[in-house]
Amino acid sequence: MSYAVELINISKYFGDVRAVDNVSLKVRKNEFFSLLGPSGCGKTTTLRIIAGLEEPDKGIVKLDGKDVTYVPTHKRNIGMVFQTLALFPHMNVYENIAFGLRMRRVPESEIRRRVREMLEIVRLTGLEHRRIHQLSGGQRQRVALARALIVQPAVLLLDEPLGALDLKIRQRMMVELKRVQREVGTTFIYVTHDQTEAMVMSDRIAVMKDGVIQQVGAPYEIYMRPRNRFVANFIGEAINMLEGTYIEPGVVETSIGNVRVEGGAEYVGRRVAVAIRPEKILIGEEVSGDVDNVFSGRILMTIFRGAFVEYRVDVAGFEFIVFKPHVGGLARIYQAGDVVKVGWIKEGGILLVD
Amino acid sequence: MNVADVIRRSRRLKLFIFIGIPMIYLLIFFFIPFLIALLYSLGMFKQVVYQYHFVPEPSLEYYVGLSKYPGIFKAIQRSFYYATLTTIGTLLISYPLAYYIGVKLEERYRDLAVLVVFTPFWINFLLRVYAMRFILHEAGMVNTILRLLGIITEPIRFLGTDVAVIVVMIYSYLIFMVLPLYGVLEKLNVELLEAAYTLGATPFRAFLKITLPLSIPGILAGSLLVFIPAVGEFVIPELVGGPNTTTLGTIIYSFFLRVRGVTGWGIGSAAGLIYIAMILVASYVYMRFVGGEVRLG
Repeated sequence: MSYAVELINISKYFGDVRAVDNVSLKVRKNEFFSLLGPSGCGKTTTLRIIAGLEEPDKGIVKLDGKDVTYVPTHKRNIGMVFQTLALFPHMNVYENIAFGLRMRRVPESEIRRRVREMLEIVRLTGLEHRRIHQLSGGQRQRVALARALIVQPAVLLLDEPLGALDLKIRQRMMVELKRVQREVGTTFIYVTHDQTEAMVMSDRIAVMKDGVIQQVGAPYEIYMRPRNRFVANFIGEAINMLEGTYIEPGVVETSIGNVRVEGGAEYVGRRVAVAIRPEKILIGEEVSGDVDNVFSGRILMTIFRGAFVEYRVDVAGFEFIVFKPHVGGLARIYQAGDVVKVGWIKEGGILLVD
Repeated sequence: MNVADVIRRSRRLKLFIFIGIPMIYLLIFFFIPFLIALLYSLGMFKQVVYQYHFVPEPSLEYYVGLSKYPGIFKAIQRSFYYATLTTIGTLLISYPLAYYIGVKLEERYRDLAVLVVFTPFWINFLLRVYAMRFILHEAGMVNTILRLLGIITEPIRFLGTDVAVIVVMIYSYLIFMVLPLYGVLEKLNVELLEAAYTLGATPFRAFLKITLPLSIPGILAGSLLVFIPAVGEFVIPELVGGPNTTTLGTIIYSFFLRVRGVTGWGIGSAAGLIYIAMILVASYVYMRFVGGEVRLG
């Protein structure tokens, strides 16, 4: 089986800057794949290399199994939604969406039929004669999506298309994008710096930093089993990172005491970190006899976050961040100064060795 | 309270400064002279040795006189011919130039490039036209080069011909076309072209469907900036042309400054008004024709 997109050892330099550094990727057919990373990490350049808008200095780009490294953009069967959307301001909605079909010299009657279908998929029926400046942000988004999808590209590339929208519309568009992707059954490659967008929509995510891919995996994989400190820190809202030394199989010595961990016997004697997500930490009565790691702490701060409560807990000088849903009334919420037990089962800790 | 505060506070004063002053300027230097020319052309305003007479009944005698002037229709035709070819010529030369500077050239070099395009225009207009005389002369640069290359044996006579007038007019008006075109092309969002490529457009079709339509406002502005004064051009046909390059401009010029007197000014004014009327019609038709499909938001 060939992959929808395959990058083999791609590098791209801008002067002395390595924008993309030896990146290899395989994107499966009909997959929603995200490139996630902070700004300047090379994700947009990677996307533009797939589109043929940038030529890589090294490496091979394959689309659908065929080497297209030196094929110009207009001959690659791709679609792209730009960060600025790049809708044609001198054309109305209909003409914008029909553009790709006109370039392929599709007969007018078929264009009419396919534009109508596409308008239905992106829910813009009735707006075909609007001019671009008469549309709302969300509507423009849909036009850009429809324009790119109508040519039935082998892969659709999206470059932070939701960046300019406000939160509510963005949340709606995320669900919408996922729905459209299922409906048309096309491979989507989505570039974003927003982990929520990547998490919500993606089948798989590649986390990038400094032009290098740090980890590729399903959202739960990169969240639950980050491969290094960068991914652990970058993904998720917060993480508790205990630095220490792996002293004997299953035990890491840290500043707050010995911590029991799962596996990793081969790291004995090395510097490691144990990372624990805030929601995996048990507190107060939740800490029972069979919890592997139990410490005594004091609440420093209680922050009401709406759906949950965030505690800052001091344990021997280390400040834990703990997220707790509040099942009871106000009386069940710990307050600053309360002395509590905190703990986690060893499977809840992530061993990081980089 | 200082002057700036007074101005800021008074709506009327603000209106006067931002609208009133330009209006007064236009009134004094455009509208009133225009009215005087109209009255002159209709024979209603006459100056006889520092004495002005207002004649209440208009007559078309100067318009009739103008129409009987030998070669007048040929000259009008020639004015439009020169202006049209000048507009087309400047457009053909300016577009690639403006495109290169505004789209292809790195942003930090753009200001410098525009300045370089401007440099010939630091030199006085008359000097430049005279320089062109030397270049086009039978013993001038063009003929010398052609002869040295063995392309010609006898010098070609450029001066006094349509070719000389049109070449020099294109050269002189170039900048008025380059600047508006540069203005629109510099603002062109290159992502629009990239979007067109991803949709299967070849670079050439992307140019036809995206770049060209989006530069129409610049083409329109540049064409009007070149065409309107070009129709009235009289210095260039005088200096590099000859008896066969008489234009409406040179005729107006000779009525005012050679014929002079009541008749000269009357017929000259009539010719001036005909010129304005023709420009209005031509510009309107052109804008409808080129700009009709373009509405930018």
